[in-house]
Amino acid sequence: MKQGGRRRTVYSGCLAAIAGLYILSVPWYRDLDEPLEIWLGFPNWVTVALLCYVGVAILNSIAWSMVEIPEDDEDPEAPQ
Amino acid sequence: MNFGAWGVVSLTLYLLALVVVAEVARRAKGDSSPADHFLAGRSLGTFVLFLTLYATAYSGNSLLGYPGRAYRDGFSFIMATGFMMAVIVAFHLIVPRLRPLAVRHSFVTPGDYLRLRFSGRWAKPVRLAVGLLMSLALANFLLAQLKAMGEVASVVTDGRIPYELGVVGLAAVILFYETRGGMRAVAWTDAAQGILMLLGLAALFGWLMSEAGGLSAMTKAVAARRPEAVQVPSLTVCLNWFSTIVLMGLASVLYPQAIQRIFAAKSARALKNSFSGMTFMPLATTLVVTLIGVAAIARFDIQGVVETDEVVPMLLADWGSAGGYSAAAALLVFIGALSAIMSTADSCLLSLGSLLSRDLLGQEGRDEDTTRLGKRLAAGLLLATIPFALWRDLTLWRLIELKMELLIQCVPAFLIALHWSRLRAGPVFAGIVVGTLFSVGLSLNGFTRFEGVHVGVLGCALNAFVAVTGSLLGQNRTGPLESSADRISR
Repeated sequence: MKQGGRRRTVYSGCLAAIAGLYILSVPWYRDLDEPLEIWLGFPNWVTVALLCYVGVAILNSIAWSMVEIPEDDEDPEAPQ
Repeated sequence: MNFGAWGVVSLTLYLLALVVVAEVARRAKGDSSPADHFLAGRSLGTFVLFLTLYATAYSGNSLLGYPGRAYRDGFSFIMATGFMMAVIVAFHLIVPRLRPLAVRHSFVTPGDYLRLRFSGRWAKPVRLAVGLLMSLALANFLLAQLKAMGEVASVVTDGRIPYELGVVGLAAVILFYETRGGMRAVAWTDAAQGILMLLGLAALFGWLMSEAGGLSAMTKAVAARRPEAVQVPSLTVCLNWFSTIVLMGLASVLYPQAIQRIFAAKSARALKNSFSGMTFMPLATTLVVTLIGVAAIARFDIQGVVETDEVVPMLLADWGSAGGYSAAAALLVFIGALSAIMSTADSCLLSLGSLLSRDLLGQEGRDEDTTRLGKRLAAGLLLATIPFALWRDLTLWRLIELKMELLIQCVPAFLIALHWSRLRAGPVFAGIVVGTLFSVGLSLNGFTRFEGVHVGVLGCALNAFVAVTGSLLGQNRTGPLESSADRISR
């Protein structure tokens, strides 16, 4: 019961963090006339967006491993 | 570009391989029921499911349309990586609730869920409206793939196979293996096509980076050629960025072929594993095609919007002109691109067959006759789409947006209905009508966005407002009803 509750908390936390990363990924908070600054090979606002998307991918992968999908039949791929 | 006879030989070998897979898939068939033909007998394990989801999601639009858009917009099209990832995030809204129902009630099409979920006199209009929107969106998607197939076949064979013959010939091959092997053939060929696509993209990206001298050098070259391509985007572009994430995220989970793969999975574990892997694929695919388009800014000066869809063929022509290894690698990329296009087209066609027969014509049988009807309808629709594919003066990106504006109007009928048991059929139907008329009407009159926000997203908000408000008002007037949704939720 406790473990199920913890899984759900981690799952919800991942989805909330994903929403935050999406808001951060779009450069709405930056000045239009900022000079070009290159980080890791990209304009810095692109690098920030990409790092956010890497974070989304990791958190989303964790969320998919945590999600509960009840099935009526026995799961044939489940570890014995 | 001159691939010589190798282009024709490679294309022929590739098509022969598809035909062989179709034959093996046909022999693996359990029976001729719709569930076996359209869902591979619900037997897709993690490996095949992951690759078929991947190959279906990344299409001709992704490989030819996206680099063209990145070429036009510059680095701001990095948004594509975000919105393709948003699709896998948005699946959280649908998979955990829809999958158990699909297993319990043996769903074959999205309409099977609506049949269970909604009752009363407006249930059928909802099913028909959703079926019609999905069919139109899929037909639109199929059309885009046919156009891209013709272009690639013509380039690979140096015009020995003209555009028109490419469209018709490759459509015939798809129809053959889809009709023979159903979802098994589609999923197995998707798996091979997905691997080819990844290899092709990796090879092209590696060559481009070595030519440009690395990422930083590429960014500086792009900034020198077109400074606005590296600048922080305007507020309107940022709004469009958010809007596209919402549009693509919500609409893409309602692709009928994606929903049917949820039904076709062997187990919940296979689904979870596949989506866990899929979430990283935008970094390996969309990001790569975006950078390919951006890198092309420093190499070419293309003026017309339609011509920017030619960015990838132009790059490959440059690469292949060196001959030897370069030509062979460029050819691999072309076959990879063709694989991506065909894998999406075959999934569209398979879904269209089941959608037309079950959801629009109401043929709910589980026998061979229903399967045969689905195959015939798919073939008829493919034949009807081919003449439109011969109209080349339309960009792939615009086709994607039109399709999404239709699909997103199905959001209340699935995403809200799965999470809110009081949603009723009448208001959902009214919402679909209002949202579709709003977004399509404005779109046809040339208003595709307001301050960067897609009219489809605004139409969906209006649609959801009508559906929710109508359900609440109806509930207050008549009191809570014993609905299908109540039965489902118990």
